[in-house]
Amino acid sequence: MMKKYWFVLITSLLAASIASAADSRIWGGMILANILAYGQEHATRLGPLFTTLQAFYFRKIFAGVLLCVPAAFLVHYLVLGQKVFSHDGEKIFVFSVFKRLVHWLAALAFIILIPTGLMMVFGRYLGGGTLVATARHLHGVGTVVFLVAVIPMFLFWVAEMLPTRDDMRWVLMAGGYLSRAKQEIPAGKFNAGQKMWFWMVTLGGSGMIATGAALYLQDFDYGAASLLGLSQIDLLRFCAIVHNFLAMAIIANFITHVYMALFAIKGVISSMITGYKEEEEVRFLHSSFYKKLKGQRQV
Amino acid sequence: MNYEQARMKFICDEHRCIECFGCAVACSEAHDLPVGISRRKVLTVFEGIEGKEYSTSIACMHCADAPCQKVCPVDCFYIREDGIVLHDKKKCIGCGYCLYACPFGAPQFPKNGAFGTRGVMDKCTLCAGGPEETNSALERQLYGQNRIAEGKVPICAAVCATNALLVGDAEEISAIYRKRVSSRGKGA
Ligand code: SF4
Ligand code: SF4
Repeated sequence: MMKKYWFVLITSLLAASIASAADSRIWGGMILANILAYGQEHATRLGPLFTTLQAFYFRKIFAGVLLCVPAAFLVHYLVLGQKVFSHDGEKIFVFSVFKRLVHWLAALAFIILIPTGLMMVFGRYLGGGTLVATARHLHGVGTVVFLVAVIPMFLFWVAEMLPTRDDMRWVLMAGGYLSRAKQEIPAGKFNAGQKMWFWMVTLGGSGMIATGAALYLQDFDYGAASLLGLSQIDLLRFCAIVHNFLAMAIIANFITHVYMALFAIKGVISSMITGYKEEEEVRFLHSSFYKKLKGQRQV
Repeated sequence: MNYEQARMKFICDEHRCIECFGCAVACSEAHDLPVGISRRKVLTVFEGIEGKEYSTSIACMHCADAPCQKVCPVDCFYIREDGIVLHDKKKCIGCGYCLYACPFGAPQFPKNGAFGTRGVMDKCTLCAGGPEETNSALERQLYGQNRIAEGKVPICAAVCATNALLVGDAEEISAIYRKRVSSRGKGA
């Protein structure tokens, strides 16, 4: 009698494990097609591509970004120094409480996401194991925080972040950051640099969430793979490649953003804390916006 | 056999494999694998098409120049002198990169991490255990049996009723396979 129960239990467990293997979009029936397609001329070659990139390039590029971007700003700081604007003039209200809260929520997400991501990239120097595995889990938690922040952020700033005629001129003069002179910089409420960062965070960030979620879920079927005409495993390879390249771009821009807010212009970070910007800052760095406010007699 | 240069490999003779699942079941049982993990799989292609249908058994192929080892961010793979590709589960973070690099879909991930999330990677060890002390309880718990240390053939090949699944030094098993192909006059 006992034996019979065991038999039923074991066969049903075995059936369950075979069933879950068969349901899999990675290890199920398609595995053979994936094996045969790996690296073939007619196939995507995403497997060998991912292998080469991850084995030889990703870690080096990340290290390059982490060294070169701050080094460039250090040189900028030493050579050109901070821009200083008067903090005694009128103050212009630019960021509501809600916008500031959302900004800092996104900042918190970045403070979780970037170090934990880099801990995985450079995991071999940390010995792997629990420490790096914990970083991987925190990376997932950070994603949820970022998701909560990025949606309102996109909605309340998208209109002001659309390109304008000022942007091209701003880019051509590098926002005036290559000279010490106090000059009127062509920019509306947001300059081209800030706009670039905004799109990087919202569009790039969405790309990070999507590719990251795919890598996290791994064996799922929401039609994404078939939509792109890829097998599930190739979709994952594609996502891993995109996730890494986007991460490099975002980290480089994040460092830039922090430098601008903390070092490039003295005390400019206070606008994200109090909500007010100095009149002189606005007059020079956001000249079009200033003229508009003046036209509306708001300053 | 020149042990110095031995590179352990699997070959599955598709003209002999009868899709009995013996190897896959033996593997899962021998190593106490969790539900949902099958280090070895039996697959049938062109099912029902006469003359074309065949079955084969696949697992980690213990690649020379293994792609999995190249991409692992925590560098937890090591390749034994005899070519068996193993990894250290205490270092692995379960990132999945090895799976993306692997041509054979060998790495798998049990959902035994914190809160039922993806745990660390599991794959065929060619019954050679892992980096823990040979035949220790910990090695057995993490990697399954270490039959190689006991001088035994991997369980999958040991139970293969038709001797379709060959394991051993790459040169030697290729020689056996070639001999079979030439004597039956087909299949390469
Ligand atoms: S896991 Fe894949 S890539 Fe690594 S040795 Fe096995 S078959 Fe080769
Ligand atoms: S899942 Fe584990 S073994 Fe595979 S690449 Fe990631 S850390 Fe390395």
